[in-house]
Amino acid sequence: MMKQVNIRIPFRMFVLLLGLFLSVGAFAQIDVRGHVKDAQGEPIIGATVRVASTQTATVTDFDGNFTLKANQGADINISYVGYQTQTVKAAPSVEVTLQEDATVLENVVVIGYGVARKNDLTGSVTAIKPDEKNHGLITSAQDMMQGKIAGVNVTTGSGQPGTGATIRIRGGSSFNDSGNDPLIVIDGLAMDNQGVKGLSNPLSMVNPNDIESFTVLKDASATAIYGSRGSNGVIIITTKKGRRNQKAQVSYNGNVSASIIKKYTDVLSGDGLRKAVKDLYGESDARYAMLGTANTDWQKEIYRTAISTDHNVTVAGGLANMPYRVSVGYTNQNGILKTSNYQRGTVSANLNPSFLNDHLKFNINGKFMYAHNRYANTGAIGNAVGFDPTQPVRSTDDRFKNFNGYWQWTQAADGLYDATWPYSKVALAGSNPVSQIESNKDRANSYDYQGNIEVDYQIHGFEDLRLHMNFSGDWANGKQTQDVQPWSPDNQYYGYHKTDKENKYNLNYTAYMQYYKDFSKTQHFDIMGGYEWRHEKYWGNYNDYGLFPSTSATPGEKYNEQKSEWKSEHYLVSFYGRMNYIAFDRYMLTATMRADGSSRFAKGNKWGYFPSVALGWKINEESFLKNVEGLDELKLRLGWGKTGQQEGIGDYAYFATYRQPTSTQALYPTAGDGYQYIPEGYNANLKWETTTTWNAGIDFGFGNRLFSGSLDFYTRKTTDLLMSAPVAAMSNFSNRVTKNVGSLRNTGVELALTARPIQTNDVQWEITANATYNKNKVLKLAGDGQPIQYGDVGLGTGSTAMCHQEGQPMGSFWVFQQVYDEAGKPIQGVVVDRDNNGVIDNGDRYYYKSATAPWLFGLSTRLQYKKWDLGIGLRANVGNYVFNQLKMGHRSLEFIGTGTGFMSNSMPYAYEVNYKPSDKTYDALTDYFVENASFIKCDNITLGYSFDKLFNRLGGRVYASATNVFTITKYKGLDPEVNGGIDGNIYPRPLTLLLGLSLNF
Amino acid sequence: MNFQYIKKSMVPAAALVLTLGLNSCTKDLDVQPIDPSKNTTVDAQKLFNKCYAEFVLEGNGPGDSELDLGDPGLSVLYRLMWNANELTTDEALCGWNDNGISEFVSNNYTATNDCLYGMYWRLCFGISICNQYLKECADYDASMTAEVHFLRDLYYYYLLDNYGNPSYTEEVSTANPQQIQSAELFQKIVADLEANMGSMLAPSVRKKGEANYGRADQSAAWMLLARLYLNAQKYTGTAQWDKARDYAQKVINESGRSIWMGDNATTHKSANGKYSAYQMLFMADNDQTGAMNEAVFSFIQDGASTAGYGGSTFLMAASWDGNMVAAFPQKTDQSWGGNRLRKDLIEKFISLSDFDALPDWKPATIIAAAGDDRALFFGDNAKGDGGVKDRSYNNDKLSEFTQGIATIKYNSQRSDEGATSDSKFLDNDIFLMRLAEAYLIYAEAEARAAGLNVTQTTGTAYINKLRERANNTNLKGSYTLDEILDERARELYFEGVRRTDLIRYGYFGGNTSYTWQWKGGVQSGGQFEANKNLFPIPTTELGANTNLKQNPGY
Repeated sequence: MMKQVNIRIPFRMFVLLLGLFLSVGAFAQIDVRGHVKDAQGEPIIGATVRVASTQTATVTDFDGNFTLKANQGADINISYVGYQTQTVKAAPSVEVTLQEDATVLENVVVIGYGVARKNDLTGSVTAIKPDEKNHGLITSAQDMMQGKIAGVNVTTGSGQPGTGATIRIRGGSSFNDSGNDPLIVIDGLAMDNQGVKGLSNPLSMVNPNDIESFTVLKDASATAIYGSRGSNGVIIITTKKGRRNQKAQVSYNGNVSASIIKKYTDVLSGDGLRKAVKDLYGESDARYAMLGTANTDWQKEIYRTAISTDHNVTVAGGLANMPYRVSVGYTNQNGILKTSNYQRGTVSANLNPSFLNDHLKFNINGKFMYAHNRYANTGAIGNAVGFDPTQPVRSTDDRFKNFNGYWQWTQAADGLYDATWPYSKVALAGSNPVSQIESNKDRANSYDYQGNIEVDYQIHGFEDLRLHMNFSGDWANGKQTQDVQPWSPDNQYYGYHKTDKENKYNLNYTAYMQYYKDFSKTQHFDIMGGYEWRHEKYWGNYNDYGLFPSTSATPGEKYNEQKSEWKSEHYLVSFYGRMNYIAFDRYMLTATMRADGSSRFAKGNKWGYFPSVALGWKINEESFLKNVEGLDELKLRLGWGKTGQQEGIGDYAYFATYRQPTSTQALYPTAGDGYQYIPEGYNANLKWETTTTWNAGIDFGFGNRLFSGSLDFYTRKTTDLLMSAPVAAMSNFSNRVTKNVGSLRNTGVELALTARPIQTNDVQWEITANATYNKNKVLKLAGDGQPIQYGDVGLGTGSTAMCHQEGQPMGSFWVFQQVYDEAGKPIQGVVVDRDNNGVIDNGDRYYYKSATAPWLFGLSTRLQYKKWDLGIGLRANVGNYVFNQLKMGHRSLEFIGTGTGFMSNSMPYAYEVNYKPSDKTYDALTDYFVENASFIKCDNITLGYSFDKLFNRLGGRVYASATNVFTITKYKGLDPEVNGGIDGNIYPRPLTLLLGLSLNF
Repeated sequence: MNFQYIKKSMVPAAALVLTLGLNSCTKDLDVQPIDPSKNTTVDAQKLFNKCYAEFVLEGNGPGDSELDLGDPGLSVLYRLMWNANELTTDEALCGWNDNGISEFVSNNYTATNDCLYGMYWRLCFGISICNQYLKECADYDASMTAEVHFLRDLYYYYLLDNYGNPSYTEEVSTANPQQIQSAELFQKIVADLEANMGSMLAPSVRKKGEANYGRADQSAAWMLLARLYLNAQKYTGTAQWDKARDYAQKVINESGRSIWMGDNATTHKSANGKYSAYQMLFMADNDQTGAMNEAVFSFIQDGASTAGYGGSTFLMAASWDGNMVAAFPQKTDQSWGGNRLRKDLIEKFISLSDFDALPDWKPATIIAAAGDDRALFFGDNAKGDGGVKDRSYNNDKLSEFTQGIATIKYNSQRSDEGATSDSKFLDNDIFLMRLAEAYLIYAEAEARAAGLNVTQTTGTAYINKLRERANNTNLKGSYTLDEILDERARELYFEGVRRTDLIRYGYFGGNTSYTWQWKGGVQSGGQFEANKNLFPIPTTELGANTNLKQNPGY
């Protein structure tokens, strides 16, 4: 049950208490003078100080001081929102340090279109406040969630600075990737799931230092209020605010870090390659003569230790009823691959004034972000593994003059008609990785402006009714510019220039009305209904070309130019409502309904309806348990609901259109200007994808917060899956169109536990752990039992290693079954003829494991001893598999000499398997290369020391942390955490050592 | 509770919410595309261009397909058809592990072969585009409309020849089309061609830069009819040799085309004396030189404007490697080392013992020994142990390009060795139908129509003319049917017609006497079933269209 409460209840209490008159006792009273401060030594303004069991109370002043009269030795309680209440004995002078209370956030949580008391929730909702002490390097909000929440899997793309992460809540419920992204709501604004150039995803559009809380809505009874966008969970982020009547407080938070590559791919050295070529072909072979004399470690040439810094300054305070917070942040992160760099500047401001005796409240947010991304040429990562180590990085030989002196595999360049360019690179040969990096200048500048004005009006004279409006918008643009030198191996002679510009905005207006009524002390009722309008628009342009150099016949002319412009938009119009009913403070009922209309569907299919119902029962409030010692909470929850999904299908998938290719090389000049019109595939019958979720949960707490947790069971069935499905030839203009076909199911269990084994004044120890099991099964697909293939592993075309198939988990490997010899070595080309038809073909492939981990675990612990704190974060995925493409690609030592005009490098492991080159795909598309990639990772270890009187006045903390500390795995590749299941060559995730400082002035 | 009171208060509040909200209401949901790349109205000329381009281009530009058929370059229709009709025969093989290629090479293709799905869909897609043109633009221009009929018939012809019993529709509809049987499809194609060809452009050689360059004229329809009738027995069970003969004759007499004998009539060479007349048919300037006189219907290729990885760039690059480029410098940096000869094609020109006895395997040496300009073979490598005769014609290892003699039939140079338009993509037009084929159809159909197994006077003369053009002095008084087939191999190898020829002669699936290296997957030459004379309907298509039944034996 989600009982609607005002988020500012604590403030109201404060106001209420302000109005209390102090009643002065008559006996043996003394004047108690006191000072209240927080752990950093900052005075706390407006804390409530009350003599126990009396009406005597006051609040602290602007310096955190108070005075009141009390009997000597009487208990005085000091309380303040967000802090644990402290009790001290009355004395002439007392000094009180309030500890922050992590549980406060759990009491009131932000939910869709409102807030709720945690106790009254009927849905599966996890709220976390970022642990500001226990974390490693954080540059994006995604880093704060990794491993922290049951049922939430966060996988960062790679070690590249500024890269995005894939977030999956309770497994994926869609076939298309963008359809599986959760909805992210920042200060009431639902973000669209695309980034812009330079900003990888919506989470990268907020400075993590500004985040106050995350709420993750997981089941349909919580997310159905978001209707068509609720199927994959909702992450609600609120940003920090100032405090009422607070003196301006300035704080600084910054760090410096060093990122270090953890491991190199094991390749042959120059000497190793020379020996291999000699052994394979003999010293008289031309291939041996092609080798050089160097011993170049190409991987060492392209990586570096990268130093990065991060600075944030915040000013927060409250001018009477006008709390404010302004923060400025700057991040400069260098990547371990040379030249890669990410810089970000952020400004965010918040104002939340109240007027008319708190009947009218505003919450105004403005955020600005500028990001500058410098992308390194990641093609160098693969070439550093495969490029001939016997060659030097640079050479003065004339052959390399046109390559800026970088060594390359060259051949005569006859087709250039330019006497000054006698040599070109051998097209199929690898590129010198150092020259790839040095010749490439690829950067993006992005700007993002977000703002919202939230108005909450409690109607005068009818205080049970409240009107809430939020106007919000997000404007972003990004421009990527790439300039590649003509001496680069990839774009030799002409060079390459690209601009790619994206603009977008997203405007959102929502308004709802809410009515509360307590019929009696035991019967609570509230109802809310609202309307929402949303418009997203995207546009951009793209241009790339080479340039004929000055020595050519046509200097300065563009070569092979591509130009395009695009524009798109869509609208979403919605009506929504929610009703809560609570009886006897223990039986709860919540019902929600949303109707969404989308411009992405044709008339007749535009509207989707998404209902939910949930029940809750606080068993511990029942008379038979009410007095049980040590039972803090015991609550059962049961919910059902339907949610929708409409991402990844394009805005105009139901229109019949013609597209004119933009390439100037795609003309067929039989008529007119030679350009073509290509009719495009479409589907006028598209509709919503629908997920129906059942969730049963139990929340429990024992021993006065010693031990608490929750356990949830769920099953989610998605029907009318939007997927690209084969269509009959001659019935459409594409062989695959997006259709509503197929269904799948996720079934799972989640357990979240928090234990606080030690809670004394000097020592506090907290352990939080979570475990998730999710079983995903595809129930039905389009077509005639044909798997949907994807995941090219570069074995020639069509050599996909993965598929979705009925009866299997999504993203299963679809491979041949390798046969091994007695020694356990794979026998090349011998695979099991599983269908016994005497021929090895696709019918012999089988479904072997999945790339998605069914088991997820997270563990974090924080130990605080006086001013010292130690935090550790661990995370494990179990049962996930990875196709080791790198290993597969180097299965034969002979690949070093099979190219014409060039040599390649190999890995020592090639000696073990000793394959021969072959034209049979099934040689290599086998389960031998599918490896168990279960892992335990230590995300961070952090040690901190807090001080409150540095130079007699500064409070703060210094800390050191290590990020991505270690990985325990059986996986043979560099890193078992591979998004998508095929390990090619990702930008390695580094080990990062960090020194940080927080200061409160 | 007092409902009246609630209602009273809620109404004004609700009104406030709604006035703020309904300024933009549900009619916003009715959008029209604002994307400049999405056109909702047709442009007849541009759609017309697409009806042609579907045969040889990826769609959106080199390496960028408009369909989802795997690798864009590999899934270009021309390349798929070439692979299916050459790699399955005694002419060519390839060792790439692109999905589907090795199944062709060893004749064990199945319904899950990616190339066969791509070819099926691309052919049908071509028909859909033509149907769309005929629905939307039939009134735009009479000759263009007739041409689109011809193109649709051409797409259907390839469906008929490769798959036998494909989908059929002349409508634009989202309904799944019905399956048509081979004999009926044959009749429909023939009827549609004969009904519309009169409105096509009059026959004429149209070189690059001239009006209507690249467009099919009436002679293309006659040539297609000649091909259809030549193979009518396979399609309908009844041979129609006389009609094949007559349409071939029509092409020979009325198309205005002539066999290209070269710039220099006595030696049949290019003006610079370096390239033979035969070689000029496959060079970068073949759309401008006299070679164009021989083209009955060709696909436009231009490295700067009509380019891709599935047209002539594929033909050349797939059969060259870097060592060949080192020996014969090229205008492209592309050399992929894939397609090369089966030894059986060498034997059409020269016995293997004579071949072995040659001092080297340079093209000039082989041509001289074969006495035929068409033996454009390459057997010496610069790589390895000295480079002389270091290729093996035995194809012991399919994955190694040097296991097999290569061909330089396609090359990226112009016959005047002038500049070409791109350093990657070729300018060479693809002669899909050329007059030489009409000569060979005539010779064969004339003999067969007369119930003979040797050529008659005219047919003999036509074959001798082709030999003469190749500077082959071995001109005979007549040629047996088997000799015609061998002559077709010499004249038309690597031009994508071999599979059809072998089937017509009964030498493909189900035959045990006519064999070649790796036939049926056996290096010494095996066999495979007669049902493989048709390709299977792809499994994916059977799943998407339940009206279709699989061809027998799959």
